[in-house]
Amino acid sequence: MKISDIIGSDPWKPAPAAPVVGFDIGSRGSKGVLLTPDSIYTTFIPTGLYMQETADELLARLLKEAKLRRRDIAYVVGTGYGRISLAYKDIPYQVVTEITCHASGAHALNPRTRTIIDIGGQDSKAIKVDPATGRVLEFVMNDKCAAGTGRFLEKAAVLLGLELDKLGDVSLQATEPAVISSQCVVFAESEMISLRARGERHKDGAAHANIAAGIHFASARRVKSLLGRVGTEPDLVFTGGVANNPGMRHALETLIGARFVPAPIDMIYAGALGAAVHAGRHQAAAAAAKQAGSAAPPRRRAATAAEKPALAHTA
Amino acid sequence: MTNSLFSADLLPIHALIEAEQQAFIADEGGRKRAGYFCAYTPPEILNAAGLRHARLFKAGSPEIVSQGERYTQSVFCDFSKSCIGAFDKEGGDPFYHAVDKLYTFHTCASMKRAAEVIEQFVPTTLLNLPRLRNEAASRDFFRSEILHYRDDVAELVGRAVTDSEVSAQIALYNKVRRLLRDFSELRKRPNPPLTGLDFLELVRGFYYLPPATLLTAYEKLYQKLARTHDDGSRPIRLMISGSIMADGDRRLVELIEREIGARVVVEDHCTGYRPFAHTLREDGDPFAALADGYLDQAPCARMKPLDDSLDFSTGLAEEYGVDGVIYVYLKFCACYGVSKLEFLDRLTASGVPVLEISSDYSVSDIGQLKTRVEAFLEVLQGQRDDRIETNSKEHVHG
Repeated sequence: MKISDIIGSDPWKPAPAAPVVGFDIGSRGSKGVLLTPDSIYTTFIPTGLYMQETADELLARLLKEAKLRRRDIAYVVGTGYGRISLAYKDIPYQVVTEITCHASGAHALNPRTRTIIDIGGQDSKAIKVDPATGRVLEFVMNDKCAAGTGRFLEKAAVLLGLELDKLGDVSLQATEPAVISSQCVVFAESEMISLRARGERHKDGAAHANIAAGIHFASARRVKSLLGRVGTEPDLVFTGGVANNPGMRHALETLIGARFVPAPIDMIYAGALGAAVHAGRHQAAAAAAKQAGSAAPPRRRAATAAEKPALAHTA
Repeated sequence: MTNSLFSADLLPIHALIEAEQQAFIADEGGRKRAGYFCAYTPPEILNAAGLRHARLFKAGSPEIVSQGERYTQSVFCDFSKSCIGAFDKEGGDPFYHAVDKLYTFHTCASMKRAAEVIEQFVPTTLLNLPRLRNEAASRDFFRSEILHYRDDVAELVGRAVTDSEVSAQIALYNKVRRLLRDFSELRKRPNPPLTGLDFLELVRGFYYLPPATLLTAYEKLYQKLARTHDDGSRPIRLMISGSIMADGDRRLVELIEREIGARVVVEDHCTGYRPFAHTLREDGDPFAALADGYLDQAPCARMKPLDDSLDFSTGLAEEYGVDGVIYVYLKFCACYGVSKLEFLDRLTASGVPVLEISSDYSVSDIGQLKTRVEAFLEVLQGQRDDRIETNSKEHVHG
């Protein structure tokens, strides 16, 4: 896809000088974004048992789609919980956390972004972004617990006998959302079971919708509590796989009392896009350093912050 | 030990600590052995009586936690569960089993209840610590509790503990506190010659080693570290603030220093720098000196007014020039868990970025912990880069 189709015809600041790739290896799904100076390619596969194989598969798909060869890729940045297990012999590689990447990704698409809610397979996060730089100002991440994450919704869908991608739509049909108070997915599950047991046969459809809505509101309350320190300054942006769930979007907007700004691409790719943006910066810094190196004695600091890998792990 | 959690310079000290623990367990010399939990228990009295003694703060293993859970509800912190679990005759810790007498000036409710459970395993004397640290009545009361403590200790060893013996111990422990403070001072350098893990090991030594042994070993090390050459690196500087960081709970600092390469340069908790920030009066009534000295030490969050704790925390962050603070507390901690917002707000208001982490001794959350800490350090690195950029611009235009 042409970047101008997404962003408009103004020059896009994060555009890289050479093809770069960002991977977001999540707990459930893995995302890849390939950026060229004028195009963006995205791909998604379920995360496999071996992270490197998953990343290799993502890269193969992206190269095929972009009609590029492996050696055309100037830089790769990995993020997501599988980021550490990646290694490349032939491509420069850096690691950046998904918190920083979601901020960069959302900011690259919409420079007015100030607040991000990211809900993925096993994590949810609230991130406050500096609109001037796209940098993270503050963030809060959920506790080690599935409440308020994609996993919770997955469990709920199974219990209601629904496909995961239908759960949100069904919840929007609710007439009276069920009250599910448990903070814990295990207890919420038993609450759901007793609610289901109470549902009369002919009202099954309505009961399902009400329970589904209750589940979304329970999750959304959990996520909303993350916003305490981060705030809800607009533009408010929803990223991560759960951003595609209209039930969750509705529940969050209702509880927060504010609307999410519509995104120009599927926001499951926000983290991978952010990783690709970082890859572009690393590539630029490396090129600048190389040039400076051939022209003059090496300087201690290059111009950009991205050049400094002090916190990244060179795999 | 190639994979030790501290620098090679500390190996002799680590060996001393291990040897002391073995001697404690093996009952070498046949001296009575006393243990205590909280940093408000003056070891001066124990040492004056010639006891072998140690602070009991080994924890971090999930097995010991579940051992303790047989006696508590789930909503006790993992540290208090570990204290019970380690004393439990089945599957506990041999070091704890070797304790002849437990003394505890309890701080929080969990530790008080834990001590009451532990009474069934070992003779225990539970003493009271006043909360209102600035009241004259608190000081008088605390002094009388310390006298009870002295009498109890005297009964244990079968001889009197004299005022002059106690005074001598106050002077000796002051010397040790000053030395630990000097070690910490070295961490104010832009490139500290000792890591946070090193300092934690030194504090560990404080709680296991006899002070005389400690002074000999530590003074030598101090001279060496003070001469360390600055190689020019400028790691990100962090303060850890919050609840106890047990002997055995190293995963956060290990992650920060070993995996990410930042530095913990000071701790606002009772197993780091905090107990050494203050020294005791050396003249006059030694028991009044102990009462005042321990109430005047940098306060635990259970003390009132909480403002004293908040002032200390923000002051320390500034004094050590930290880039950020990690506020970490044990889940269900009734002191640091409940006062977290006051700490977070005050630190943030003072201009220091702060990351909140609630922790326990399970191992399943290490991935999430890593993501949080790494992301926080990315934020701090970004801010530092911005500062450098602004400074260099000002430099060019100025």
